Amino acid sequence: MTVIMLTSGAVLLLTCLAFIAFEVITLRKGMVDGLMTRSEIIGVNSTASLAFQNTSDAADVLAALKTDPQVIDACIYDENGHVFAQFPSNVAASAFPSALTGTGFHYTSSSLAVYRPIIQDGHALGTVYIESNLSPLTRRYHAYALLALAVIIASTILAYLMSRVLQNQISQPILALSETARAISRKRDFSVRAVKYSNDEAGALTDAFNEMLAEIQKLSSTLEQRVEERTAQLEAVNKELEAFSYSVSHDLRAPLRHIDGFVDMLRKTSQDSIGASGKRYLDIISGAAKRMGALIDDLLVFSRMGRSEMRRTTVNTDSLVAECISEMAQDLQGRAIEWDISPMPEVNADRPMLKQVWVNLISNAVKYSRDRSPAKIVIRSREAGPKEWEFSVKDNGAGFDMQYAGKLFGVFQRLHQNEEFEGTGIGLANVRRIILRHGGKTWAEGKIGEGAAFFFTLPKAN
Amino acid sequence: MPFLNSLLRANWIVRAALIIALLFAGQEASSAQNTSTAYKFKAVFLFHFTQFVDWPATTFSDPQAPLVIGILGDDPFGDFLDATVKGENVDGHPLVVQRYRKPADVKDCQVLFISSSEQSQLGRTLTDLKGKTILTVSDMGNFAEDGGMIGFVAVQDKIHFQINTDAARDANLTLSSKLLRLADIVTTEKK
Repeated sequence: MTVIMLTSGAVLLLTCLAFIAFEVITLRKGMVDGLMTRSEIIGVNSTASLAFQNTSDAADVLAALKTDPQVIDACIYDENGHVFAQFPSNVAASAFPSALTGTGFHYTSSSLAVYRPIIQDGHALGTVYIESNLSPLTRRYHAYALLALAVIIASTILAYLMSRVLQNQISQPILALSETARAISRKRDFSVRAVKYSNDEAGALTDAFNEMLAEIQKLSSTLEQRVEERTAQLEAVNKELEAFSYSVSHDLRAPLRHIDGFVDMLRKTSQDSIGASGKRYLDIISGAAKRMGALIDDLLVFSRMGRSEMRRTTVNTDSLVAECISEMAQDLQGRAIEWDISPMPEVNADRPMLKQVWVNLISNAVKYSRDRSPAKIVIRSREAGPKEWEFSVKDNGAGFDMQYAGKLFGVFQRLHQNEEFEGTGIGLANVRRIILRHGGKTWAEGKIGEGAAFFFTLPKAN
Repeated sequence: MPFLNSLLRANWIVRAALIIALLFAGQEASSAQNTSTAYKFKAVFLFHFTQFVDWPATTFSDPQAPLVIGILGDDPFGDFLDATVKGENVDGHPLVVQRYRKPADVKDCQVLFISSSEQSQLGRTLTDLKGKTILTVSDMGNFAEDGGMIGFVAVQDKIHFQINTDAARDANLTLSSKLLRLADIVTTEKK
């Protein structure tokens, strides 16, 4: 807007200056012309006065100038350049320039003087001289200056108003457009359309913007639709799978219980007839049935973990770890274990789930270190960053090959033979699942024959 | 005074300047010229009259015909009048000075200065000139009132003139209003 104002102001100023300059030149020329005409009239009327040396008549002719208030003084020179008659009569003859000849004029700061010869039948009889003040010119100059000032002020105001209106026309659609774009990105509502104000360039821009919006809306709605479809499919499959695994697990238990129960009955009732080898077979059948039962239980837990709702509370990790160890008393019988447990922080978590994690990790450490005497189990916690805690359980047991570290947390992934270390292959999968649901991560480090270390993180409570 | 004459012949402005100079110089110069200051003025005035009076076109036989200033009777101007009009012309008519001894000699002239020597027979002279387009000028007393057209009168050392507009009109002459403005207008006194 400043640019528009300055441009129009400069143009206006130049125009006014040019106009005034032209007027000044015209006025000065007009002033000279007017005074020349007057002096010619005086000259023509005073030829006889000069010819017949009649001073008083010449003075009478000059006295006609008193009708013009601008005339300061005037005189008629005779052919020798002496003042012959003058106006007004009380001016000293010495006040007039001496011996003027020819035609001409000269401006001073406050007056204009013209002179021209008085000619009768080709004879120069003398010269007439008139001096006029410039007050009409000055008045006109002032009037022009005022007019120019008024025009400039009025035009500036007009230009200001017009530029505001014009600017509104240009900026309003653009502002509306940007407001619409902001609203869309804020609310994610692609059904909003920008208002079109005019059919000019800004209108074309609005149209293009709206077309783009329509395209985005179409894309996003199909995308959402596809995501919804896929999610629904996945959920359905997942539910089916879970239901399947649950019912399978559940249904598998019944025949297992039958197997276990009838093996027991067989062992009691036919103790003598089956002999020593028959008894061993029965023990193997019973053990396998029990392992399968444990496997099914773990599977049920695993499938529940995925579905059950989390109830976060503040959990005292110190007491949780102590609780886990004390519940393992049975497994610890006859074992020499050096425990090294650092103080633990409080965390925000689902306590039963977190307990599952610790039970799994500690029992793993106990299990895989049973060939060591003494076994060393180190449980640590530390701040892994401003937002999370890192926990670790380290043992000096069987360890594992780091190239399989990625497989450790998978379901049914086992690195050891069942004969060597019993297990279902579901424990670490559960650990990973629980920690992920708490927003943490899990990993493991180890070396065959030297021990393993399991790590997990939990976000700090807000 | 050949020196002065040659100067007078040279240029009208110089001549006019000389008239003024002589006026200011006093009586010695004029008496030395044998023409009084007053007559020098009158001679110049005679010349100027030709510029402020219009003669009917029929007065001149052709556009280059001379405009004659005649002097009837004793010539009071000496050769000053000749010097004044020398080389001059009015509307293309060269100015010429002619001198007449008696009224009967007056023929084709446009201006006639009647010398005071003719005062005694003025009435008859004017009657003879009636009907002719001749501007009659004189410096004898009451000339205009007596039926002449322009009469010089001295007022406080200055030369004024009286104009008898009736006489001029009778002679079919047009006198410029500028000339009339300077003059005392008179009419012919009935005797």
